[in-house]
Amino acid sequence: MTEAANAQAIYDAIGAVLTRWTMGSAATPTAPFWRAEFGDDPAEAELRLLALSGQFLAVAVTTEPSSTLRFLPDIPALALPTVPEALRPLVRRLMAAKKDPQLKNELVHFLAARGWTSHPADWMPEAGDEDAPDVYAAWRDWAEIAASNIASRQQTSDRLTADNWEDFWPAARKAALAELRRRDPSAARTVLEAKLGNESADARLRLLSLLSERLSDDDIAFLGGIAANDRAPKVKALATSLLARLGRGPGAGEDVAELAGFFSLKTKGLLRRSRVIQAEPPKTPARWQRRKALFDGADLTSFSGALGVTPHELVAAWDWNVDQAADTALIKLIAETGTDALVTQAAEAISERDATGLVVALAPRLAPSERARFAEVALRRHGINFETAQLIAGATARLADPLSAPAGNALLAALRRDDAKPSDQVSELYAVGLIASRDGARQSLEHLTGAGLLQGDPRLDMLRLNAALDDNGAKP
Amino acid sequence: MPLGSFPDILTVLDSIWDPGVAIDLKAVEQLATDQSSLKAAAGLAKPAKWSGIGGSGDGALIWGECAGSGANPYRVMADLRDLGNKCTCPSRKFPCKHVLGLLWLNAEAIVPFTPADTPSWVSDWLGRRRGASAAKPAGNAAPAGDKDLRAAQRAEPETIEDPKDAARREAQAAKRSDETERAILDALDALEQWVGDQLRLGLSPFIDDVTARCRRIAARLVDGKAAVLAGRIDELPGRLLALPAGDRPRGAVVELGKLVLLARAFRATPRDAEIRRAVATSETRETVLTDPLALRVNAPWEVLAEQVRTRRDGLVSQTTWLLNLATTGPRFAMLLDFFPASAGRRGSVFTPGERFQGELAFYPSQQPLRALLVRRDTTEETSAEWPIPDEAPSDALTRPLLAEPWIIDIPLLLPQGRIARDDTGHIWWRSADGAMTLPVATEAQGILCGTSLTRTAAIWSGNRLTILAAQTPWGRIGPP
Repeated sequence: MTEAANAQAIYDAIGAVLTRWTMGSAATPTAPFWRAEFGDDPAEAELRLLALSGQFLAVAVTTEPSSTLRFLPDIPALALPTVPEALRPLVRRLMAAKKDPQLKNELVHFLAARGWTSHPADWMPEAGDEDAPDVYAAWRDWAEIAASNIASRQQTSDRLTADNWEDFWPAARKAALAELRRRDPSAARTVLEAKLGNESADARLRLLSLLSERLSDDDIAFLGGIAANDRAPKVKALATSLLARLGRGPGAGEDVAELAGFFSLKTKGLLRRSRVIQAEPPKTPARWQRRKALFDGADLTSFSGALGVTPHELVAAWDWNVDQAADTALIKLIAETGTDALVTQAAEAISERDATGLVVALAPRLAPSERARFAEVALRRHGINFETAQLIAGATARLADPLSAPAGNALLAALRRDDAKPSDQVSELYAVGLIASRDGARQSLEHLTGAGLLQGDPRLDMLRLNAALDDNGAKP
Repeated sequence: MPLGSFPDILTVLDSIWDPGVAIDLKAVEQLATDQSSLKAAAGLAKPAKWSGIGGSGDGALIWGECAGSGANPYRVMADLRDLGNKCTCPSRKFPCKHVLGLLWLNAEAIVPFTPADTPSWVSDWLGRRRGASAAKPAGNAAPAGDKDLRAAQRAEPETIEDPKDAARREAQAAKRSDETERAILDALDALEQWVGDQLRLGLSPFIDDVTARCRRIAARLVDGKAAVLAGRIDELPGRLLALPAGDRPRGAVVELGKLVLLARAFRATPRDAEIRRAVATSETRETVLTDPLALRVNAPWEVLAEQVRTRRDGLVSQTTWLLNLATTGPRFAMLLDFFPASAGRRGSVFTPGERFQGELAFYPSQQPLRALLVRRDTTEETSAEWPIPDEAPSDALTRPLLAEPWIIDIPLLLPQGRIARDDTGHIWWRSADGAMTLPVATEAQGILCGTSLTRTAAIWSGNRLTILAAQTPWGRIGPP
C-alpha cells in the first residue's frame, strides 16, 4: 500500500472511529492499519489509537467548505484621498471616543470638507447611512452588497440617465442624481420623472428631497403630480413642502385663517410708523396645542396671506423674542416652506435680535458660507458656546480665531478653575476643533497649551487633527 | 565658590534643561507606600532597565517602558504636576516600584527625558483619569518617616554562605524536584485513566458535560503539580465549544489525543525543559536570560496583535504576537504573561502595528516561539515589508505538529489570499491560487472581506484560523 493510499484508507476509516467513540464503543477494530502499534492491553490500545487519530486529524484533515464560496468585490477607491497614515491614529481615537454615530458623522463630514476620507479600517458607512457624505456612496453600496446575497454588479461612472438608472447602486445613484441636479436641474428632474415611481417610499422620499437644490418653477408640474398622486403620505408632504417653497402652498383655508387669528398686525412708532405682528397669547393649554397643530399644517405663503402681508413682510414685521413657541413654530415653517431668500432673511432677523438658537433650525437650508458667517456673528455678538456654533456652522466653516470670541474666554476660564477635571469641556474643545480653520486650530492649540492644558491632552485631539491636516477642500 | 557666581552658566543651563515641572527625591520618598517599594525603585532607577524614556514638551508628563519580571515590558507614565501615575504591571501597590523608579530617574536626571510627542497610550490614560484631586496622594499615602531614601540606596551586604548549607540546600532542592516529578507522573496516570474513561463513556456525553469533567481532572492535576497542564485542560471546554457542533467529536479526539501524547512525552523525558513547560511550570525570566543555550535574536519586530484572555483558573493571560521582519531567526515570537484577574484590567503594552528593533531571548525549544523581551531600542520607523512566507501553507500547518504534536497554537504567515463566506455565513480564507482553503474562527467584516490580502498573519488553532493582521493594498489591517 502506498503512503497516499494508506492516508486515504485512514481517512476513510476515521469516521467509523469517531462514531464508535462518540457512542462509547471500542474503536480499535475499525483501524486495522495501526494494529501493529496497539499492543496487547485493550485500554492501552484505545489510548494509542486516540493519540494516532488525534494527530492524523490535526495534521492531515482540514475542513472543506460545504458550498460555493462568495467573495465580495474590492472596496472601491473614493474620489478623495485617504487621511495621511500619520494622522490615522488620531482619527481612530476620535472615532473611538464618539459612540454616537451622529458624532462620528460630524468628523467624516469635516474630513470630506477638508478634502479627505477615512481609511476603511477606521470607519466605513453602513448601507443605510444617509447622513454620510456623498463621497462615500461607493462604500455604502459596497456595504449593501456585503449585507445582501446579490452578486456584485458593475458600477458605472457614466452620467446618470433614465436608461442607465439600474446600473447604479442606490447610494451611488443618489450621489449621481445630486451631482446632476447641481449641474443640470432639468435633466435631474427628467430622470426622476421617469424613474421615481418604481422606487420604494423611503427611496422616493430621499430622491425627491434632492430637488430642494436649485428648486425652480420648472419643477412645479412634477411636484404637483407627486403631491396629488403619490401613494405615501410622507412623499406627498415633501412635495407639498417643496411646492410651498415656490409659493404654491395649498392656499388659504379655514385652518390658516384660524392660525392667523392667534396674531395681530399692528403699527407702532409715532414718526416712523412700522408694522409689527404680535402674538395674542393663547389662554388655555388646549389653545396652545391648537396653535401648534395649526402651524404644523400650514405653509408660509398662506399664513402670510391670511395676515395680509407678503412672506418677506411677515418676517420683517414679526415681533421676535416675545413668544418663543411662536418664534420656533414660524422658523420651522420657514425652514420647511420658505424660499431660500426668506430663509436667509429670517436668519438675518433672528441673528440680529439675539435669538441665535433658532438659526440652528434654519442652518441646513443655508449655504455653507452663510452658515459660517452666522456662526461667527453668533459667537462674537451673542456669546453662544462652541457646540451651538458648530451646529450652525456645519462641517465646512473655517473660523480664523474662534478662541477670541466670548465662548473662548468662558472656555479658558472653565479650564483654569481650581476644581476643573480632566474630563471637563470635552464637547466644547471638540466643537472648536471642528469649526476652526487650520491656522485657527494651530493658534487655538497654542493658546490652550499656554493656558495649562497638556500637549498630549486627548481633549485636544480634534484641534490637533485640524491643525495637522492639509486643507484641500473647496472653500465655501 | 557660590553658585550665584555663575549666572551666565545657570541661564544657559536653564535654556537647555527646562525641567517643566521639577520633582525631587523627597517627593518620590513621600509617594512610596513603604520602604520595600522605595528599595525596589532604587534598583530600577538605572538606565539599563528602561527604554522609550520621554517627556512632553511642556515637561508635565513623563513616560517609559521598564523591563519587569514578565515577558512583556511595563508601560509607566506619570503626570509631574500632581504626581498622578499609571503602570501596566499587575502590582497592587499604588504607586508601584516602576512608577517610583521612573520618578526617581526624573528627579535625579539619571537619563534625559527627551521632549517628544505624547504617545497615544499616555494620552489614553490622561483621557481616562478622573479628577486631578484624586491623583494628589503625595505624602498622604504613608508618612515619609517610615521610609528612608538612603537606606533604599544602600547595597545589601553580600552574605557568605557556609558550603555545608549550600550542599544541604542543593540536596533539598533535588529531593523536592524528585517529589515533584513523582507527583506529576502520578497525576499523568490519573489523566490517562480519565481520558480512557471519556472514550469508554462516550464522547457525546463528554462534550455535553465537558466543563465539569475537565474541571475535576484539572483540579487533580493541580494537586499533582502539573499546573500548566491543568490550565490547559481548564481551557479545553472553551476551545471545544467554540467549534461548530458537528466538528466537536473531531475536536475532542484531537484535544484528548494531544493530552495522551504529552503525557507520554513527559514520561519519556521528564527533565526536558520544553515538555516540563507544557506540563508543570515555566522557567523563570532569570533562568532563560542566563541560559547560554537560549536563542537570542536581535531583529526588527512588528507587533501583530495582543490577545488578553481571562482563564477559568482566575488568571488573565496576556499574549503579544510579534513578527520578525528580518530574513533570519524564528518568524514569530510570543510574549506570554499571566496575572491575577483580581489585579484589574491591564493596559496594552504594545500597539498593534508598531515596530521596534529589539533583542528577544527565546525559551529553549525545538521550535523557538515563546520569548522574553530583553532589550528594546528606540522605536524606529522601518519600511521593511513583511517577509515572504518561509514555507508552503500546508507545510506550515503540519511541520510544528510533527515536532510537538501537543501544541495548540501555530502562528502562520500565509501567502496572498482573500476572505470569503459560504452559504451558511461561515468565513474562509482562500489562497490566491485556489490551492488552499482554510476555515476562519474570527468574525470578518469591512475591509478584511473587501480587499486582497497580500500576506496574512494568523494563528492556526483547533483547525481554524484566527487572523491577527494582514497586509493589503490598503496597508496593514487588523481584525475589528
